[in-house]
This record gives sequence, structure tokens and C-alpha cells, in this order.
Amino acid sequence: MRLVRAAPAFLLLSLAACLISCSSERNTIVVGSKNFSEQALLGEIVAQHIEARTHLPVTRRFYLAGSYICQQALLAARIDTYVEYTGTALTAILHDPIEKDPSAVFGRVKSEYQRRFGLDVLPSLGFNNTFAIVIRGEDARRLNLKTISDAALHAPQWRAGFGYEFMERPDGYEGLAHIYGLRFAEAPRILDLGLLYRALLEKQVDLVAGNSTDGLLSARDLVILADDKRYFPPYEAVPIIRSETETRHPEVRVAIAELAGKISDEEMRKMNFEIDGQHRDAADVAREFLHAKQLD
Amino acid sequence: MLGVLDVLASWRARQFLSRPPRMTPRTLSESDREPVIEFRHVHYTLSNRELLNDVSFSVARGETLVLLGRSGAGKTTALKMINRLLVPSSGEVLVEGKLTTEWDPIALRRKIGYVIQDIGLFPHYTVTQNISLIPRLERWPADRVRERVKEMLETVGLHGKTFEHRYPHQLSGGQRQRVGVARALAADPDILLMDEPFGALDPMTRGEMQNEFKALERHLGKTVVIVTHDVGEALVLGTRIGLMEAGKLARVYSPHDFVHASEPMAAAYMAQLRVYDEAKGEK
Amino acid sequence: MSPIQFFLRHHREILQATLEHIWLVGLTMIFAIAIGVPLGIVVTRKPWLSKPILGGANIAETIPSLALFGFLLPVPWLGGRADRLAIAALTLYALLPIIRNTSAGITGVDRAVREAARGMGMTDRQILFQVELPLSFSTMLAGIRIATVLTIGIATIAAAVGAGGLGEFIFRGLAMVNDQLILAGAIPAALLALAADFVLGALERRLRPVR
Repeated sequence: MRLVRAAPAFLLLSLAACLISCSSERNTIVVGSKNFSEQALLGEIVAQHIEARTHLPVTRRFYLAGSYICQQALLAARIDTYVEYTGTALTAILHDPIEKDPSAVFGRVKSEYQRRFGLDVLPSLGFNNTFAIVIRGEDARRLNLKTISDAALHAPQWRAGFGYEFMERPDGYEGLAHIYGLRFAEAPRILDLGLLYRALLEKQVDLVAGNSTDGLLSARDLVILADDKRYFPPYEAVPIIRSETETRHPEVRVAIAELAGKISDEEMRKMNFEIDGQHRDAADVAREFLHAKQLD
Repeated sequence: MLGVLDVLASWRARQFLSRPPRMTPRTLSESDREPVIEFRHVHYTLSNRELLNDVSFSVARGETLVLLGRSGAGKTTALKMINRLLVPSSGEVLVEGKLTTEWDPIALRRKIGYVIQDIGLFPHYTVTQNISLIPRLERWPADRVRERVKEMLETVGLHGKTFEHRYPHQLSGGQRQRVGVARALAADPDILLMDEPFGALDPMTRGEMQNEFKALERHLGKTVVIVTHDVGEALVLGTRIGLMEAGKLARVYSPHDFVHASEPMAAAYMAQLRVYDEAKGEK
Repeated sequence: MSPIQFFLRHHREILQATLEHIWLVGLTMIFAIAIGVPLGIVVTRKPWLSKPILGGANIAETIPSLALFGFLLPVPWLGGRADRLAIAALTLYALLPIIRNTSAGITGVDRAVREAARGMGMTDRQILFQVELPLSFSTMLAGIRIATVLTIGIATIAAAVGAGGLGEFIFRGLAMVNDQLILAGAIPAALLALAADFVLGALERRLRPVR
């Protein structure tokens, strides 16, 4: 039948396609990231460092839409590595209950990722991008507030502002209010993440929940209250690599491992501000960072 | 004009008849006194309509029974009982002495040639493939199949290589009908059923085909049941004519008796024919 | 950078995403045909099943694709790997045109042909494989063509749940507000759909039986 004649053509085409994709650089390392600027910056740091150390070609596949997407991309070998946060890995990928002890969380994530997915979790880059309860600097000094428990005493006179996600998450507002006995004058205002700090500075709200590495925190007179009751889970930034990639190119693991502990919370905030606040290019900021740390 | 065609038709038939017959007419024996097809008080009801009402008749070996009647008389329904495309609501239909309900339907149908008005050639098969359908299904050896197709094409008057590899859409109506007949005869069935076989053809071609078929059937010695509403056709082709009306079989006539019949229905048909003859201006 | 320069510079990634896309669509069509054609045949054999089967396929078609991907996420074996999930959802989508056209093609076969076949003593199986299916190839292929073009389009949404393919460029481009990235996904996807439509359409025309 005539269909039979078409079949060899199709076979040839698919064979060609296979060959192209297979030959497509088993040598290229693909670095992924999620879709916000801190992630793009971390991705750039990792990518540039691999390029400098191993001289392997690196492709960037940034702004993937979230943890699930990145995880799938790792499993399907569309990317070789990306930086995840331990708390997110624990709850969103492993579906384990929340843990507070950072080393316990890291240990569990590392062992489970290896066991379930064959993925290698490297030690933290040095910072913890957890939730931050933030108040204005003047209030902190005037009322001598250092911890969230301190602030809880003043909550009834304050208004709070939170992002939508913080309101919805189990490790968000509900748990926080319960653990610290927070009672605000009114129900918290729900604000777009980008507007939270502005509302705080303009005194429309008195307390917000942001991320501890937000750029504005280093540029404005804002204070993060210490989580004395250890309510928030740890979200340490850890690079994750495919085992196959490490087998093919052990030098990649060596390179990425050199970045461990190199970025503090404050350094991350500063770099985030350069990108978000000063609109600098992530690639430039990454390059400067690596140079400053003598990693290039 | 019609006469010339008649002559040509019978000349061709004679030509063919002079060759040694491949399908040997069987010599009559005891079992041939048994009717090949028998209807016993057959009723058929569908959606509360009675399509067949107490129909009984029999067909002897080698004869050609024509079921004549108007549209909706039940002739096609009766015909389809024979190859078990339909099954009686009550009553019995026997073929070769066995109830159709006892026959394996596939085996029964393969022993019966079936020709319908719209012919139903497979459009995706060549003439050869269409004709050889049943022989191939019956797993005849390839060379026997080839021989048979050639033979059948000759039999129905489609000579030469030109037709073997043509597709139905490349044939005229008359040619298609011939292929339909060839297909029905290919496995050499003892029984042939024809439902308005020449109805879709123009009158000239129809006349031609009727004459050719008549010569053929005499030669083949098969048992044939033909359904038609055309009186002329009934008279030309039938050894007996069964007149049907509203699901009932009025009476079975010989052609001679039919022509001289006094019953109102038969007489009406004959009157029609005479009108036609007069219109033709022939005597 | 002009779009053309962009395409040239990132041609390898675009090609890889295109191949991922073709892989998603290819597997989907294999499953959809393997399930849809037999179901289409069943519908012609047992007409009382046509309502549930066609109805079910219709429901799958009506659910917004993104929602269907989302529904399947929690399902244990499927949700674990996004490409499995995507192929499962895409297969459900592709079923309706295939089932519908298969059954329409078969019932559209000339009554006289079917009657002659039956009357001559062909078994139901022989009629199906030697008469009905060959004569309905063209119509079936039309359904496959529609399903393929549909799948190529919806597969771009599969990137939203991590299945990769050309949609990933589109989503990344949207997040970065980068037109060229969006085009890098959109244009190849459109070209794929056009190519599939053309090739399958040509095949369909060649197989159309002449009456």
C-alpha cells in the first residue's frame, strides 16, 4: 500500500532527528533557574564559574516557571543543574512535613534526592532565603525590638501587610500568628509582593513578610526581626546536579562545590538590590561577584 | 436497432456456447427432484409492519424463478431470506434441504452467487480483484484464480486484457454490472440470487444484458431467483414467474400462463406491456 | 538582535526543543491512534456504545487543556514525570477527532458495497479489514491530521507543567518579557503544525478512493 512507501521516509527523518539531538553536545552543560531575579543571578554565577573552571560550553535555561518545572527538567535531562532552596525541596518536591532544623532538612533532602531521583544535592551556597518579618528601622530602634516575640507585644497597635502566597501557605501567616500569638488591629492587608516594602516605608502598614534576601532590605532603613521561636523552615540555597552529569564531567561538581558558603545573606541582598533596584544586568553582577571572591 | 443488438447478443452467446463448456451442467439425478429452495409459510415482521405474509413456494434445480411485483411487495425481503441476510419471524426457509437457520451463514452465502442493483463493486479493487474475491477467500491456488478470472471475463463478454486491471470507476454502468455477475459466478455456486440486476441500466443495455444472461443461464444450469418489477424481463428470463403483492405471493405462473392470465393483477401487467409495445410501434 | 540573528545564535537549543516537542506529539499520536481507531470501530459495531464513548471523548475535549494537565498532576504515576503527564493529557485530547472520523469513515462506506460483501459471504472481520477500513483510510487520516495539528498546539501548554518542548521558550519569554524567546517557541510550533497539516493532507488526498 502507499503508506508503506512513506514509512522509510519517516524512519529516516526520525533517525536523523535522533542523531542530531544525541550529538548535540554531550559536552554542553545546561544551567537552569526559576523565574525571579535572585535565581537568574545564582544561575549566572554557577554558569560563569563552570565556564571559567572547566572551559566546557554552558547553555543557560533561565526563568523556568517553578520548582516542579525545574525538577522535571532535571529528571528529563533538559538541564544539568539548578539552585533550589532546601525548605522548598522538602515540602514541594519530596512532600515531606516541615522541619525546622537546617541540618536535618539538608540531610533529609540530600539523602532522599539521591535515593528517589539519583540527584546530588551540594552544600549550601551560604545564605538562607527564608521568610523575613520586617519592620521600619525607626520603630525597631525606638521600641528596642529585635525578635518577633518582641514585636508581638505591639502587634495590636499595628497593621500588617502580606503577599498572597504567604497568606495561603501552611508555613505562612496562620502558623506564624499561632506560634507567636500575633493579633493585629485588623486583618492583614494582602499586597502584591513588589508593593510590600513601599507600603511599609510609607507607613501604610507597619509589619510585612518578605524574603530575607530581598534587595531593598540592604538599601533602606528596614530591620528583619529574628525568628526566635524558629517558626520558619530553613531555605538554604543548594545546587542540585544530575548524577549522570557528574559521571560524565566530574569537574563540574568540583567547580560548583567551590561556591559553597561563598554568599552570605547580606551579600545576596546587596546583589539583589543591584539587579532589582539599580537594574543592572545579572551577568555583570555575577561576574563582579566571582572576581571579588577570586573565583574566576 | 434493438433487433441488431439481439442478433449480436445471441451470436456472441452462440460463439461462446460452441466452446467446450468448463462449467459442466450437472446430469439430473434423484436428489434433483428435491427442491433446492423452499419457503414454508414464511412471515416476516419489522417494526410492526408485516413485510411477508404466509409466503410459500419452492424452486427446483435448474429453474429460474422470477419474483415479480411492485416496489414494496416484499420480493427483495423474500430474496434475502435465501442467503440468510434476513431470517423469518415465523415459518421456514430451506436451502438444499436444510433450514437457513441451521446453516453456517458464511458457508451458505459462499455457495450462493449474489447480484444486486447497485452492484456494490469494491471501488478500491481492480476488476480482477473484485471478481476473484470469493475464490481468494476460499484459498484457491493462485493460478486457478487467474484462470477463473479470465474465464469469467469471457463469460460476461468483457474480452481482453484491457479490463483486468481497471477500477470500477473506469467502467461504464453496463460493464460494471457484467463484472458484478462475473463476481457472483466466480466460485461456481449452484444458486444465484439477483435483485433487480439490470435495473440501473439504460433500456438498450438492459435488453442486451437480459438476452446474454438468458443464453448464459440455459448453459450454466444453475438455480436462479431473480427479483424484478419489469414484466418484460420476467418473461424473457423466467422459467416460472411468482407474482407478489403486499407481502403475499399471489400465484406462480409459467410464462405462457402469465401472458394469457385472466387474474386482474397479471392481466394488468400484460396490459402495461402491450402499451409499451404499441408505443414502440412494433408488432 | 534581530529575530533571525537570535534564531541562528540559539539554533541548537531551538532544535532540541523542537525535537522534544515532536517526541511529545509523536508518542501522543501513537497512543491516540492505537486507542482511538479501535474505539471508532467499536462504535460502528455496537451503536449503543457510541453515546458513552463519544460523550467521554467530548468531555475530555471540553476541559481546558491547562486544567486537564493540572487535574492529572496529583495522580501518582503520572504526576511524577511531566512528560508522562503531558502525553496522557494530550492523548485524551487527540481521541475525539480520531474516534469520530474512524466511525464516520466506516459508516460512510457505500451501503451497496457493504451489502454485496455480506451477501457474498465475507465474515464481519473480513469486511472490516478488507472493505471498511481501506475505504475509510482517507477519512480516518483526516481525523488524524486534525488531531495532530491540535496536539502540536496544545503541547506548547505542556511546558507549563514541566514537559518541555517549544512552549518552554514561550513561557520563559513571557516571564522575562522577551519577545525573541517567545518567537523562538511560537514560530517553530506554528511551522510544525503547518508542515504536519500539509504532509498529512497530501497523504489524505492520495488515499482518497475514487468513486
